[in-house]
Amino acid sequence: MNRLRPLFITIALLFFTGWIGFVAYSYLQLGRLAPQSDSDGSLPPFQSGSAIRGAKVYAAEGCMTCHSQQVRQTSVTRSDIDRNWGKRPSVARDYLREQVAFLGASRIGPDLSNVGVRATDSAWYYRHLYEPATEVPGSTMPAYRYLFKMQKIQGQPSEEAVALRGPHAPREGYEVVPTEEAKDLVAYLLSRKQDYSLPEVPPVPEK
Amino acid sequence: MSHEPSLSQTQAATNFSEPAPLHATTRAEIDSSLRFPVLLFFRTALFWLLLGSILCAITSFKLVMPCFLDGICFLSYGRLLPVALDALLYGWAVPAGLGISLWLVARLCGVPLRCSKMLIAAAIFWNTGVFLGSLGVLCGYGSSIPWLEYPNWASVPLFIAFLLMGIWVVMLFTARQPRSIYITQWYLLLGLCAFSWLYTTANSFLTWGSVEASAQGPIVAWYSANIFGLFLIPLALGIIYYLIPKITGAPIYSYYLAVLGFFSLLFLTGWSGMTLFLGGPIPAWMVSASVVATVLMIIPVIAVILNFAKMLQGQMGVIKESPALRFVAFGILSYLVAMVMSLIYALPTWNGILHFTNYSHGIMLLTLLGTVSMVFFAGIYYIAPRLLGFSWLCACSVRWHFWFAVIGLSLMTVSAILGGLIEGLALDDAAVTFVNVLSFAAPWHWLNLIAWMLLLLSYVSFVRLFGRMLFHATHPDQKLSACSFNSLASVS
Repeated sequence: MNRLRPLFITIALLFFTGWIGFVAYSYLQLGRLAPQSDSDGSLPPFQSGSAIRGAKVYAAEGCMTCHSQQVRQTSVTRSDIDRNWGKRPSVARDYLREQVAFLGASRIGPDLSNVGVRATDSAWYYRHLYEPATEVPGSTMPAYRYLFKMQKIQGQPSEEAVALRGPHAPREGYEVVPTEEAKDLVAYLLSRKQDYSLPEVPPVPEK
Repeated sequence: MSHEPSLSQTQAATNFSEPAPLHATTRAEIDSSLRFPVLLFFRTALFWLLLGSILCAITSFKLVMPCFLDGICFLSYGRLLPVALDALLYGWAVPAGLGISLWLVARLCGVPLRCSKMLIAAAIFWNTGVFLGSLGVLCGYGSSIPWLEYPNWASVPLFIAFLLMGIWVVMLFTARQPRSIYITQWYLLLGLCAFSWLYTTANSFLTWGSVEASAQGPIVAWYSANIFGLFLIPLALGIIYYLIPKITGAPIYSYYLAVLGFFSLLFLTGWSGMTLFLGGPIPAWMVSASVVATVLMIIPVIAVILNFAKMLQGQMGVIKESPALRFVAFGILSYLVAMVMSLIYALPTWNGILHFTNYSHGIMLLTLLGTVSMVFFAGIYYIAPRLLGFSWLCACSVRWHFWFAVIGLSLMTVSAILGGLIEGLALDDAAVTFVNVLSFAAPWHWLNLIAWMLLLLSYVSFVRLFGRMLFHATHPDQKLSACSFNSLASVS
């Protein structure tokens, strides 16, 4: 092979087969999926401003390195459904309202696609983020104490104060309150619900 | 400078258009024109290698001991891990590979370097980009898109740097003296073109945010598979195709195998990668196509490795003596292991168990630190003495570098395979609670930590040796270490 141009063209054409198949197809087809109209409105549901800001905190803290957000079901495994991580497998349209799809490829922590269905109490999320091991014994999750601030109680205790019991509980006369970032993050986590049905994915029968 | 076994001595055995050996003055001219820019690439690459592996060791310690350095925002696990992995990929592997490629392209094109300022500017831009990106992620501006975690503004200097290098390589290719193109140049051309397409596509679709989240999964999987399979692996294979004939004097075993290996690798790698989301929210046909492509990857792997094995046959003595060839041999072995591991991972039956465990992370680390890095080390072992004008100073450091890396990578792979299997079986059984799954995985995280410590020792001994080489180059009157010995000098 002595000529550069034919070699370059061959490389480009072979490279572009995969590019067209995976990138261009995704952009043209998956990128143009429409929301499903429903009697209750459009699905997947819209997200609050706080949840959208919370997704940025989720990205910045790299939660995705340990937590996936995809319920998987294949012909050989249905353990995600059996673990109650979701009622049905996730599909592309579930991510239509997101800025970034945090699909994740590692599960050092549980899947979070439906964490908003499993835990609905925001106080639990605050306690868990502040001191994971006291809420889930044996958890290896790092503590996110820097998303909270400790302050001296002035007069009445704050309504937002986190009720803590563990070794990091505040001293007498002090309280721990979540920052805006923590509130947004919890709003985002509470919005993790794929509990509606879409036509392309039938509900999975109980075992 | 040692003798230069000619690639064209072997011409009778193949019909490959191999370059004629260069005249000694041309060689010297090329080497002296490249000395500063290529060494600059190596220096910065080694800095990021060391930093990246220290951060990786810290993150693996945090996995077994979550309270270690706990509660400090810029040292939290989720921020450190992407910075560590990106430092290894964009800080170490890419500049090291590019530095070696620039030298190989200049040598194979037989043209001394013009516009070396352009390359120096490229190195500065590139490292600024990596530095700003890492700082951005640590300060909480990360995007959490796999391999594209750097905030989008950090991709601008990286892009400028690559553009400068691309222009330079095109200039060199068009000015080449021998009109023929050797197989190494094919692979380097593929790697350099593929990177610009990959990086442009991924950045315009993902980081600069023009595509809906529903379409991001396949693009992420495509980028993270191809940045290895179509950029770093081709660079490594090209370097191997150059080093083996040069060091052993053996001809390329088969022209047909080399061509088959090249084009089937290019085509099939482009279609693999979607196995990362098997059973996930992407179209099923994409996953099926990738399963087929990943299984068929066995064809280029056999073609390439058969060629290498035939060239290395009966060369055990040279492998033991030559620091470069020893690293090449281990690189080829880990390429085979990593490809077999990813083949097994692609089979739906096994993927059901191995997915979401440490197994896929292990494949990535074996590819990055086993195949790619070991071959790049070999390239540095071959090139640095030619740039500096004297051979490696200390044989013990080379041995430490090699054996600590071999043991560390082996432990890491064992931990990925066995640990991944055990963790996966536990994860697949819904009767095992999630916290119990973690306790099954814990012992393997300890093994991983030990592996990282050994790798760190290995890299420290190499960086120390490289530093001494640079010091000796500027202070040639200093006394040499007692342990430099002749067998190293004769081949490097």
